[in-house]
Amino acid sequence: MSSEPISAGRPLLEFKDVDTYYGELHALKRVNYEIGAGEIVCLLGGNASGKSTTMKAVLGIVRPARGTVTYKGEQITRLSTAERVRRGIAPVPEARRLFPRMTVYENLEMGAFTRDDQAGIAEDLERVYGLFPRVKERRNQLAGTLSGGEQQMVAMGRALMARPQLLCMDEPSMGLSPAFVEQVFDIIQTINKQGTSIFVVEQNANMALSIAHRGYVLQTGQVVLSGTARSLRENEMIRQAYLGEIKTA
Amino acid sequence: MANVSPAPALDVDQAVPPPARPTPWRTLTGPIVRPLERIPATTRVRLGGLVLLAAALLFPVVHSNGGDVDAATNALCFAALALGLNIVIGFAGLLDLGYAAFFAIGAYTYGILASGQLHPLWNAAWQPLQWLGLVSRFHIDGVPDVVQFQLSFWYMLPGAAIVAAFFGILFGAPTLRLKGDYLAIVTLGFGEIVPIVVRNEQKLTNGAMGLNGVLPPTAFGYNFGVNATPYYYVAVGMIILLIFVSYRLKASRVGRAWMAIREDEIAAGAMGVNRTRLKLLAFATGAGFGGMTGTLYIAKLQTATPDMFQFPVSVMILVMIVLGGMGSVPGVVVGALLLQLLQSWFLQDLTQWVHALGRLVGSVALQEVQLAQTIELIFGIILVSMMLYRRQGLIPASRTTAALSMEEQAAHPSRGGIGVSLSRLRRVEAPEGAPLLETRALTKRFGGITAVRGVDLVVPPHSVVGLIGPNGSGKTTFFNLVTGLDTPDSGQILLAGHNITGLPAHAVVERGLARTFQTLRLFPDMTVLENVLVGMHAWTHANAVGAVLRPASVRREEHETVEWAMEVLRIFGNRLIPRANHLASSLSYANRRRLEIARAIASRPSLLLLDEPTAGMNPAETMELADQIRSLKDMGLTILLIEHKLNVVNNISDKVAVLDYGEKIAEGTAEEVHRNPDVIRAYLGRTSVARV
Amino acid sequence: MTHYDVLIQQIINGLSLGAMYSLLALGFTMVYGIIELINFAHFNVFMVGSFIAAIALHAFGLQGQSRVLYGGPLLVALAMAFLAAMLFCGALGVVIERLGLRPMRHVKGTAAMITTIGISYLLFNIVLLRTGAATMNYPNPVPVLGWSIGGAVVRLRELLLWGVALILMTVLHLFVRRSKIGKAMRATAQDSEAARMMGIDVDRVVMLTFFIGSALAGAAGMIFGLYYNFTSFLIGYTAGLRAFTAAVLGGIGNIVGAMIGGLMIGLIESVGGQLLQVRWTDVIIFSILIIVLVFRPTGLLGTSTPTKS
Repeated sequence: MSSEPISAGRPLLEFKDVDTYYGELHALKRVNYEIGAGEIVCLLGGNASGKSTTMKAVLGIVRPARGTVTYKGEQITRLSTAERVRRGIAPVPEARRLFPRMTVYENLEMGAFTRDDQAGIAEDLERVYGLFPRVKERRNQLAGTLSGGEQQMVAMGRALMARPQLLCMDEPSMGLSPAFVEQVFDIIQTINKQGTSIFVVEQNANMALSIAHRGYVLQTGQVVLSGTARSLRENEMIRQAYLGEIKTA
Repeated sequence: MANVSPAPALDVDQAVPPPARPTPWRTLTGPIVRPLERIPATTRVRLGGLVLLAAALLFPVVHSNGGDVDAATNALCFAALALGLNIVIGFAGLLDLGYAAFFAIGAYTYGILASGQLHPLWNAAWQPLQWLGLVSRFHIDGVPDVVQFQLSFWYMLPGAAIVAAFFGILFGAPTLRLKGDYLAIVTLGFGEIVPIVVRNEQKLTNGAMGLNGVLPPTAFGYNFGVNATPYYYVAVGMIILLIFVSYRLKASRVGRAWMAIREDEIAAGAMGVNRTRLKLLAFATGAGFGGMTGTLYIAKLQTATPDMFQFPVSVMILVMIVLGGMGSVPGVVVGALLLQLLQSWFLQDLTQWVHALGRLVGSVALQEVQLAQTIELIFGIILVSMMLYRRQGLIPASRTTAALSMEEQAAHPSRGGIGVSLSRLRRVEAPEGAPLLETRALTKRFGGITAVRGVDLVVPPHSVVGLIGPNGSGKTTFFNLVTGLDTPDSGQILLAGHNITGLPAHAVVERGLARTFQTLRLFPDMTVLENVLVGMHAWTHANAVGAVLRPASVRREEHETVEWAMEVLRIFGNRLIPRANHLASSLSYANRRRLEIARAIASRPSLLLLDEPTAGMNPAETMELADQIRSLKDMGLTILLIEHKLNVVNNISDKVAVLDYGEKIAEGTAEEVHRNPDVIRAYLGRTSVARV
Repeated sequence: MTHYDVLIQQIINGLSLGAMYSLLALGFTMVYGIIELINFAHFNVFMVGSFIAAIALHAFGLQGQSRVLYGGPLLVALAMAFLAAMLFCGALGVVIERLGLRPMRHVKGTAAMITTIGISYLLFNIVLLRTGAATMNYPNPVPVLGWSIGGAVVRLRELLLWGVALILMTVLHLFVRRSKIGKAMRATAQDSEAARMMGIDVDRVVMLTFFIGSALAGAAGMIFGLYYNFTSFLIGYTAGLRAFTAAVLGGIGNIVGAMIGGLMIGLIESVGGQLLQVRWTDVIIFSILIIVLVFRPTGLLGTSTPTKS
């Protein structure tokens, strides 16, 4: 069902020659990404390859030492996280990161923290409840008491409450059962069809490439491969390293 | 189409070249320091020490003002206290805010036993002590005879140290497992309780009035009395002893274990350090220093009141070590001397100068300043400004090392495994045909989530077993259970047939099981070599006494451990050897991974658990490491490996087990596992062939 | 007075002390909840608050306990003094956080706590140098009215103090539970990085936490003066440690826990001091601190654990 990239003209989000450091560690080395409006773009790579740092750089939690981050044609390299959320970039963090001792409803409210339009917020709440009926059932329960799958739904709902144009998902399949992973990826496609661009970091390469339009492969902080999802699936290196194909001698 | 950009050919391990800027301080001192730097470092230190010692010994001779000598003695006493607190905070990283309690305990131990405070009735049981000269029989007509304590100062110097150390263990035993800031509060509580008890137990201590008539020491028939000079020489002797002990401890197996606890407690445990015992040892040693100092201090004053040991004293000692540099032996001595002499010598002069300045500029306020009252304000300023601007103190404990040459920096990826033979690897003692590691129905729950569910796994000796599964599938939790960092809710872990379930981490290491961490848990502020030496903690023996006295057996052990450490570092060619004296925090990511593996191998394991050893490595580095892992197996090690890079797993594993949702869903050769439909669904995505 | 009356009287006294400790404990627990820091500066922010309120009362022409006010003027004077102490201390807390602690936020280990000890010393000695070592007779405009309960007496002063503490704690509770920024505070305490990702300005939340905590310490400082009729540069240390014990007892990081813990410590101090001897009170309280930390580190209602895994 995935199609070729529909991005045309200016990309929604663009990384240009971005370098980041953690102390003395060079985490991202001159990386370039482009995410077009309406696209699902996946970022593949092993642990410690720089995937999570990328997510943090998109959200402004990590600031690049060099290079620029552009969103909707504007430089956002130095903008705060709050300002980026306000402009429509919302995260679904790795391992969900819900607020465990707040109710599901309060978690959703936190997703809309930067907004003041009460009517719009109410509308989006209904939209989230529509997408995730289970979340509605559990709205008065403490988030920490939910199962992993339910937490993932709340985390996605919480991000949608910011009414984002770009949804950044960090390892949405982590710790979920196979059946649930499928469900999550179906919902990602639904959200995308409703007009939200999606940047998804995933270790589960097969799954990610099955729904993405394009992808990047990151290795020790460098982009070593990029292209359409189909070309990546067919790439020999990817097949070996990430898709689990084995060359038998 | 995909754009493939090749990985860079030359790989430079140094993450960022260290800055070589001259500091303003350096520019200032350069002309003086540079000629001195031509003398070899050890000679330089010895010469400096001798000059300082000569100056210290001559001071009362050339400067006969009794008040100044007394002030110098006090300064030395506080330097001794600072050295004691430095062992607790600087070496072991345990923030103790009630250190004055041990000072008090030492002081009162001597004070009570060397004054007329206690007068138990005389009976025959005291006779042996009288023969030893510790007590005398005191006779007044008309009342029963009583005992007069007269314990010698010279016995009580070590005696009070032992008593204080005992209280250190007593206070520490229940509280040392608390996290740093809570430990601080609890020690603060002890620091409060001790003076209150002293004040309230009037029979023993004479309460708030204080002990009177504490006997001054005598030596060779000479009574020290109130003459400042002999106390000064005792203080000089004591400080030399404590500096010596501090240095010896710091550069020993014990000192390294303390620093490891300070840097990363969990990793220290996983390297075989018995955390509770070593923390208690640090607490007791620090307390001992305090107790000994208390004895000297009280003998000099010949009186003791509870007010002398309140919270401000603990804070003053803390300020001293913060000023000098936590963990730095010369630093804390300098810090203590500076602050003490500032108070007793310079503050008066400074006040005069400020008054003169006030007269000059016509400011009444300046003319009325009394700096002596502001000493605590100065303490506050020192604490805050040191923390904000120079956290490492005036004389930092950790040294910077010279940058490497380009030759040393450029490591060329090598293939073909390890060129050295690890002579001291442990022989596996598993019975013929039996597994080296076996887990039976291992289960661990966190809250409502079952992280590991009934996992049975068998690792045969001399094999490499790969453990794979999606993130969050329970692999690392499984490692934590096997290595004793977590306790399983049910199930069993057998190592070479012996049940090791529920053993603490350090005991697991002792039985021959070592690990690395996916998240990298090195000891950042220790050198590469020191990191590896900590790995050897489990099978080396030097204790605190041995570390100080350094008998032949300890010297031999130290020599052997360093040799073995260098042998282990050589596994990775010239990646780590040139950096042996660099701080671990200066290493590149890949070298940190290598160092963790070296540290684990140093413990001479029969089974090595590697948690994603190639994470963060590029393909060339990855293949290099894979070859090295295979060589380790050839040398007789057994390896259990968590890995995401399937080409690595497929290449080097004899067997692969797959975890998903905490359960083992498949096991077999790499090929078998990858054909297993459950694995394809769980681990590799919804279908192995993507939907198009 | 019978033993029973004495007990009632000590409970009344204990509730007043408890009100003060609760307010003070809230500052510890809120700051710890957000940035996991034991803030020793809090001890002396409380002490400063006590002096600021006294200065405000002096501004109404009140000296010592001789001049009392009634009705409206009494309420205005008290309200203005509370407000002055709370605003000044709140601002002081913000300055401490901004200049002394924010640069330390990402330094691991005990550096930040050592900094707070230094700041506490600074406050202590600045006040000492300004006011001298003598205790200050505290202005107290509350008329000496009392109602007897059997042999015990509850005075107007106590009712007023209870009322103030109750109002402040209710407002705080509602603020944290209901308001958007209050919820942001809770979210930050539970997971500050996730909170940042939601667009919450964590730096501002931390600053606000210091403001509120310090303002409550200012109110507690005034309660101290009104209750004991004196203040001094020395009062921060003992009261601070007891309040910290209260926070630990209630479960550090837990707001309701701090309120309950404060009341318990107040009651232990007054009733326990009566049953045993006053000179052992501190030993009892510190023993509670140590026993709770060692055996039940999460406190009575606690959330976070002070032991390493």
